[in-house]
Amino acid sequence: MSAPVAGIALAVAIVGLALSTFVTRTSFLLAGARARLNHRIETALRYAPVCTLTAIIVPDVFMHVHDTADFSPLNPRLIGVLASALWLAWSRNILGCLALGMSAYSLARLFL
Amino acid sequence: MIPTDPERRAAFHAGQRAILQSLPGSAAWGLVSGVAMVKGGLAVPWAIMMSLLVYAGSAQLAALPLIAAGMPLWVIVATGLITNLRFVIYSAALRPYFAAEPLRKRAALGFFMTDFTFTLFMRSAQDGTLPERHRDAWFAGVCTNNWITWQVCAITGIVAASYVPTDWGLEFTGTLALVALVGPSLNARPALVGALVAGVVALLAHGLPYRLGLFVAAIAGIVAATLADSWSAPRAPQESGAAP
Repeated sequence: MSAPVAGIALAVAIVGLALSTFVTRTSFLLAGARARLNHRIETALRYAPVCTLTAIIVPDVFMHVHDTADFSPLNPRLIGVLASALWLAWSRNILGCLALGMSAYSLARLFL
Repeated sequence: MIPTDPERRAAFHAGQRAILQSLPGSAAWGLVSGVAMVKGGLAVPWAIMMSLLVYAGSAQLAALPLIAAGMPLWVIVATGLITNLRFVIYSAALRPYFAAEPLRKRAALGFFMTDFTFTLFMRSAQDGTLPERHRDAWFAGVCTNNWITWQVCAITGIVAASYVPTDWGLEFTGTLALVALVGPSLNARPALVGALVAGVVALLAHGLPYRLGLFVAAIAGIVAATLADSWSAPRAPQESGAAP
């Protein structure tokens, strides 16, 4: 910040951001028993993790560089994810998945 | 914070163990977000305060340029609310599991809930590895390890910003940790359909600001998965893995 925002104004902005995060994270949890959703919706929410994480992962892989899509098979991030997926197909060991994925990604970045 | 009752303590430790292997992902994202805070112009003590109070990397990074530009408070709060919309979905999904807990505990579990901890909880609930009792203690164990890892790495990144390499793609470890969490869930058609739709919509809506594309994609994916579910298994027996 070249014209530094500091002191009270910055503290207030940080607390405001903290509150907006707290409100979203605790919304339904705090409402508790009063916020029971319709049964269909509540069962649908079991797909929330799969769908949200995929929606985070896919742009991370294909639109990483300056927000332009890179669908090339030589995209290092795609190579990294594919290596990780191959690992997961025969092992549930996450550390191995991370190590293999990062290695494949780094090698692809260096040599492709 | 660690429960004294032996059974609850066992559940807490089981939660701590459950997230252990995913922690490199949190570590990488924490580190990179700490560096970005400082490179974005935030002085070290303020960056540490923000990391401790907000504990949400994407919201922090979205709000930072607005704070730097001296935007009014309501703009910053609105940006935080929009960037964090996915947490409302998470909160709704967790609600049935914790509705019976006291208010203070629900507030605490909500504060410490992140993409990683939420996904791990839901996956464990679905594949039956969640303990029958003391799920709050189990989740607290998961969240404790994730929080410590994130904060230690974020503060390291803040303090040592100029020494952390930013061109190695370290943050990709976080993406891969999500792949490891989500991969095993893609073993049935509804989940595959949901993931496919969510992924395509996320790409198409990537231009939307403040991670709105992510929110839209998640909703589209959840709807698609539910439709696929009702078509592929007409009147299947009620899910046994569902909430109590």
